[in-house]
Amino acid sequence: MKRAMLMTAAAFAMLAASGVKAEGEKIAVFTKNNTNPFFQAVRLGADSAAKQMNVTVTQFVPTKPDSIPEQMSQIEDVIVRRPDAIVFIPVDYKAMTPGVEKINRAGIPAVNIVDRSAGGKFVAFVGANDYTIGLATARHLVRALGGKGNVVIIEGVRGSLTSNDRVRGFQEAIKEAPGVKLLASQPANYQRLQALQVMENLMQSHPQIDGVLAANDAMALGALEALDGAKRKALVIGINGTKEAVDAIKSGRLLASGDYNGFLQGCMGTMIAARNLRKLPTPREILLPPVVVDKSNYQPYDIPVESRTCPKWESIVKTGR
Amino acid sequence: MNVLDLRHRASTGAIALGYRLIVVIAIGVALSFASDAFLTPTNILNVLRQAALLFLIASGLTLVILTAGLDLSVAANLGLAACVAASALKATGSPVVGVLTGIACGVGVGFANGLLVTALRLPPFIATYGMLWVLHGLSYYYMAGETIYGFSPGFREIGSGYLVGVPIPIYLMFVFLAIGWFFTQRTTWGQEIYAIGANPVAARLSGIPVQRRLLLVYTLSGGMAGLAALVYLARLNSAEADIGEPLLLPAIAACLIGGASLFGGVGTISGTLIGALILTLVLNGMNLLEVSANWQPFVTGAIVLAGVGIDMLTRRRAEEKH
Repeated sequence: MKRAMLMTAAAFAMLAASGVKAEGEKIAVFTKNNTNPFFQAVRLGADSAAKQMNVTVTQFVPTKPDSIPEQMSQIEDVIVRRPDAIVFIPVDYKAMTPGVEKINRAGIPAVNIVDRSAGGKFVAFVGANDYTIGLATARHLVRALGGKGNVVIIEGVRGSLTSNDRVRGFQEAIKEAPGVKLLASQPANYQRLQALQVMENLMQSHPQIDGVLAANDAMALGALEALDGAKRKALVIGINGTKEAVDAIKSGRLLASGDYNGFLQGCMGTMIAARNLRKLPTPREILLPPVVVDKSNYQPYDIPVESRTCPKWESIVKTGR
Repeated sequence: MNVLDLRHRASTGAIALGYRLIVVIAIGVALSFASDAFLTPTNILNVLRQAALLFLIASGLTLVILTAGLDLSVAANLGLAACVAASALKATGSPVVGVLTGIACGVGVGFANGLLVTALRLPPFIATYGMLWVLHGLSYYYMAGETIYGFSPGFREIGSGYLVGVPIPIYLMFVFLAIGWFFTQRTTWGQEIYAIGANPVAARLSGIPVQRRLLLVYTLSGGMAGLAALVYLARLNSAEADIGEPLLLPAIAACLIGGASLFGGVGTISGTLIGALILTLVLNGMNLLEVSANWQPFVTGAIVLAGVGIDMLTRRRAEEKH
């Protein structure tokens, strides 16, 4: 105990000597699963930011996707290892609150990204708004349809926040356009195979479908396969800006994809955690503006996530905030 | 097991199958009244094509369930086989290599399951549950959150091609129905599988090589998962690590709705086809009638319970008459 205190004192002395610009801080990054490319992008964003800021990032991912008990025990492990800061995505925004409180009690500063935690204290929140992304992407489709036509919505996991908000955004954009008729809104649980089958079924009862609004890219691409299989054409949009979706946009199959930009969220979260440790100014909250990826602006997304680099802090966040 | 016993089982089996067919027809009639789009040739082909994938996984699983075993790893096996076959397809561009890789992966995993159950004598539930996680882990590690997509048109024919106006997966479904029916009903090995499920001790005492037959059914189940993985790839044109997960419960449900018993010895491949059809019809019907997302799980559950419940009641009455 005494030694630990001495070491902390020494560390403080070094900090003071180098003008609060210590480097090589350890940051633990928590993501939800190993299966969704979105979280892979978050992790790569965090890695890229780590390189830029000269910090060490350790990734924590539940082996069972989105497992609440597993993330909870990972938090306990991490508290023992004592990283300098934590970048945190709760696997469940309500159920992980006790975990966040444990981190708070341990006195490790944490930055919340992607899904806003219902409880606990954070240095900052970085996220994107599903509703505004859904709205912006759906408006893009409505414009491409010339403000008229028949559309269907393919929903994600019923009852999930992301799906509800995205679908609400879709519905709002459809309401704004009196010429656009919503034929059906059916769930496919963010699954490609289910989206394919749902689309095949909807095509049976609707001879004319002009537009498809899918709550993620995998479902949009599944719906496209169904349309291709039936030799029918419709304008399709998805959400997430995945590499596969960008390829489909490039080849003209997919109209657009609303970008949730996991990479940038990973960058920003890690940068804020590092800047906070170095006593540099950080905003309390960053909400990334919705970006709709289409034929006109896909180039930056065409680069594989592995070879992207985080933008410089100054270019995203105006100084003096 | 004497001949009379088998014959009796065959006749009650046929009756049970008949009742299940009635459930399918009843759902069909109800849907054709409710929606004009239901009873059209294109929708019938649509439903059959959708049922094909589920049937292919569930048919292999049926053999395992007949022996009173369970293969919880079928869907995870499909996922891994799809990922491995996808990268083989991408690397070589040869559909033949892709197909062989997918099947080999499925068969290999199935054989490993068989060894766990026979050589190590692990309970099938535990052996295949463990295998499920091993396979998920391998898939996640292998794919690292990426997606492999875009296969050659030649390969894609397996899933999205047509022959005289009928989708290829439907042919696959009926070919494997025929093979499965012949294997289980008309071969000694098939009958031995029923005998093992009905009474493993009696089966062993009557000279049936129980361990070897078990090894066979797990391997076949794995092989069918590998085949289903290829149909999946060819239809969806893409592979992700987690594609298998949502298929496990429907596959088990298709077997059980189709009349297979987890206690073994009871069930047929044709029953499993009917089980797959019922599950597919429910989704088709809900989409055609635009049932709200919030009600879909409830409706699915209610129809499964009603379908199997009616079937059980009628079957019990039929058995009491005997």
